[in-house]
Amino acid sequence: MASSATASRGITTNSSTTRINNSQRYPCWRQPISVTMNNPKPNWVVFATNTSQDTNNKSKNNNKSKRPRGSNKKKSPALAVENDVVSNSTSVENDKKQQQQQKLLDLEDVNPVGLGRRSRQLFDEVWRKFSGLGQISSTTRPDQREALDALLIREGPMCEFAIPGAQNTTVLVVGATSSVGRIVVRKLMLRGYSVKALVRKADEQALDMLPRSVEIIVGDVGEPSTLKDAVEGCNKIIYCATARSAITGDLFRVDHCGVYNISKAFQDYNNKLAQLRAGKSSKSKLLLAKLKSAESLAGWEVRQGTYFQDVIASKYDGGMDAKFEFTESGDAVFSGYVFTRGGYVELTKKLSLPLGRTLDRYEGLVLSVGGNGRSYVLILEAGPLSDTSQSKLYFARINTKVGFCRVRVPFSSFRPVKPDDPPLDPFLIHTLTFRFEPRRQKPVEGPAGAKQDPRSFKLILEYIKALPTGQETDFILVSCSGSGLEPTRREQVLKAKRAGEDLLRRSGLGYTIIRPGPLKEEPGGQRALVFDQGNRISQGISCADVADICVKALHDSTARNKSFDVCYEYVAERGKELFELVAHLPDKANNYLTPALSVLEKNT
Amino acid sequence: MACRLPTQLATPGNLHHTKAWSSTCHGGALSFRRTLAPEALVSSLSSAPSSSIALSGGSYKRPLVTCTGQTSVGAVNLAPGTPVRPTSILVVGATGTLGRQIVRRALDEGYDVRCLVRPRPAPADFLRDWGATVVNADLGKPETIPATLVGIHTVIDCATGRPEEPINTVDWEGKVALIQCAKAMGIQKFVFFSIHNCDKHPEVPLMEIKYCTEKFLQESGLNHIVIRLCGFMQGLIGQYAVSILEEKSVWGTDAPTRIAYMDTQDIARLTFIALRNENINGKLLTFAGPRAWTTQEVIALCERLAGQDANVTTVPVSILRLTRQLTRLFEWTSDVADRLAFSEVLTSDTIFSVPMAETYNLLGVDGKDIVTLEKYLQDYFTNILKKLKDLKAQSKQTDIYF
Repeated sequence: MASSATASRGITTNSSTTRINNSQRYPCWRQPISVTMNNPKPNWVVFATNTSQDTNNKSKNNNKSKRPRGSNKKKSPALAVENDVVSNSTSVENDKKQQQQQKLLDLEDVNPVGLGRRSRQLFDEVWRKFSGLGQISSTTRPDQREALDALLIREGPMCEFAIPGAQNTTVLVVGATSSVGRIVVRKLMLRGYSVKALVRKADEQALDMLPRSVEIIVGDVGEPSTLKDAVEGCNKIIYCATARSAITGDLFRVDHCGVYNISKAFQDYNNKLAQLRAGKSSKSKLLLAKLKSAESLAGWEVRQGTYFQDVIASKYDGGMDAKFEFTESGDAVFSGYVFTRGGYVELTKKLSLPLGRTLDRYEGLVLSVGGNGRSYVLILEAGPLSDTSQSKLYFARINTKVGFCRVRVPFSSFRPVKPDDPPLDPFLIHTLTFRFEPRRQKPVEGPAGAKQDPRSFKLILEYIKALPTGQETDFILVSCSGSGLEPTRREQVLKAKRAGEDLLRRSGLGYTIIRPGPLKEEPGGQRALVFDQGNRISQGISCADVADICVKALHDSTARNKSFDVCYEYVAERGKELFELVAHLPDKANNYLTPALSVLEKNT
Repeated sequence: MACRLPTQLATPGNLHHTKAWSSTCHGGALSFRRTLAPEALVSSLSSAPSSSIALSGGSYKRPLVTCTGQTSVGAVNLAPGTPVRPTSILVVGATGTLGRQIVRRALDEGYDVRCLVRPRPAPADFLRDWGATVVNADLGKPETIPATLVGIHTVIDCATGRPEEPINTVDWEGKVALIQCAKAMGIQKFVFFSIHNCDKHPEVPLMEIKYCTEKFLQESGLNHIVIRLCGFMQGLIGQYAVSILEEKSVWGTDAPTRIAYMDTQDIARLTFIALRNENINGKLLTFAGPRAWTTQEVIALCERLAGQDANVTTVPVSILRLTRQLTRLFEWTSDVADRLAFSEVLTSDTIFSVPMAETYNLLGVDGKDIVTLEKYLQDYFTNILKKLKDLKAQSKQTDIYF
């Protein structure tokens, strides 16, 4: 006892790098020494003997002979490395002391405390295994448990919930405390996504409802300025917020503007990323025409014609006229009138794509236009550039609104003028034409109720861009099918929801719009689901099933750019039995969504 | 009302009880009947002393009181209150091997999950991360239970005491308290996980307790489902697979007992299907894996999949049994004896398996969806071996770097 006390004192004075912990608590034989190397903080503890002054200069021999039998049965590449470092640093005086060490080792071996400790460890280990055989339930030791958890639960290739790629995906859930959003958040967490949750108020109640590792962002979808933080770093958005009341203002703020604000913020963020990557991002749109200066009007050509070539110009024919000009207010305006029966006017341009770009990597056009709300026919000419006589014409009708709006026209909505022609191949597109014809114009109310003549038109063009294709959906909107709503407010609610949906479709993001029947608070996965397009469904659906569809749709290419209704399976009424597909019960490893959605129409 | 309950469950002390318990094992007679009398619930204070006296008297026969739970429903469920949502469930034993899978499954199916977890220094964060609510309570301390049951529709009980603690506290006293509370607070469904064949082995304390709890639950009049389980595949990984990979010695017995191991994820899935099926109320289901295995077969399978031989130490069952007999002789080793009790089952050449076709039918599940042990272990080894390879590659890289 006394000798050990002096020994420890000797060590503290002799070497500055070694200090002794708890020298009082361990009266003899073994004392834990924390060895501080050059590193200022001691990051390991080595157990060593110090029966004499020499023991801090331990030999390799000593270390090795003791270690395997010694106290660290549990673990240890780290400690093993440690040993080497210690012994290297101290092996200088190695040889001199060898003999003395040998003696000490013997002494050490007969030390009853050390022997007892060692034998107990051995016995414990054996006993643990032995008694494990005789037990029904076994608990793993905590250190083992940690490793097992990591494998079986967290990263989980063994876990049925794990989705490859989930780790790299950040999802923003808007309306995370709603009945659907709550479950969506949990499902995402289980699958290993990073989740951001946008809540209006970060009060106790909301925080309790959300898992703790969710990043909570306080913001309001009605306030665009608060959404910048929310979309930052996000790859996908699931929007399950809905107005809490059926008051028009609320509906407008959440269901209509909210969707717009979020999608705009997300698009802005994507654009920022695209700029950082010098337009090389997969998210960046391709500018086909920007009409912001007088020079930009070059190449555009105004034409006119009639559908009936044989019509003799009668004296009642008012003729037609059209011009494309750059006004003083800085707008490119295509305007005029068509009074001739069967006549039309066109504005056309040969597209010139930047070098190395072709339109087959894009899935549609987005136009920013204004004017007096006429509808136009957009015509694409496609064919080999060398021989324009082989070009085929494809058309799609677009509607504009009074004032400015953006119109999204997917290439898939273009149909051939001659029905026999093959479907449009975006790769071959070379000419773009706007055509105005007086036929099929919706009557538009002019200011102060004055009827406008539907034969005159004004189209302000701002830009034309091509939308990049993507594999997956970017924005999932949980809307509603309209059934089960309170009849008095049904119109208003649906109007707001549909307006929100429309804005999302035009945003240029890959979207999925889910219109569930009346939501029920019950566990999901119990009943088969019906997926449909059109207003035919009549049943409810559980929130959990909607959440499941949201999560499954994230990585499902068939879900991109689709809107669909969904509800529980039911026996359809006569005449309405045309629903598309009955999905299976959601089950382990069965992806019901892909087959259900693949038959549904795109770009709806 | 809730807080009145636990007083009658106050136990006089652990040590004493363990003694009482081990003597019970000798006697082999354990009554599952405990007080669930309405007077105990409604005017409990007077009855509390009598019941605790009966317990502390050291008699190994529990007071034989006929359960009158059925008649007391109206009296017990006094407050109509707000109706609870059918999606709100409480999982007891949520941090266990099965419990965590139950929690995950429940969350995924859209339930609001509350987990009853023992207060501990390192809280179970993963449950919160998944979106469950964690409440602290201890089945060993019945007074903590009632508060956790407020607003709960269904209780799923997958708790089992840890091997190192006295078996009585959690598995019997705690369960009884839980069931009584559930009854008193009008819980609408109670799912209890038991052990297969528990009625046939009264000599194994844990199995007898499970059997008695089953009985107690039936008598309580609660709307319940009892699910008997055979073995978890997840348990095998800790027991054999890891040791084989680390080239440590693996201990096995030569027992001919066969166990039909099952993936806990499958158990969780089937549990929720059963839970929602109103036809299964009050029934006893047994879940077993597709095939029953002996330990030797499992070890052989692990060796084959890992591609390396294991250092197997085979302990004859007779030795296990002998140890148990020996340890039973002394009072202070009776805990050990309890823990080794399963050896009795091992010697008895039982097969822990049942034909599942009927259960699958009842639940409407396809038997092909149930994971087999070969598949499960294969998945495990391919994953872990790949990971090891990655690690090796990484460490090589760092070598070059240095």
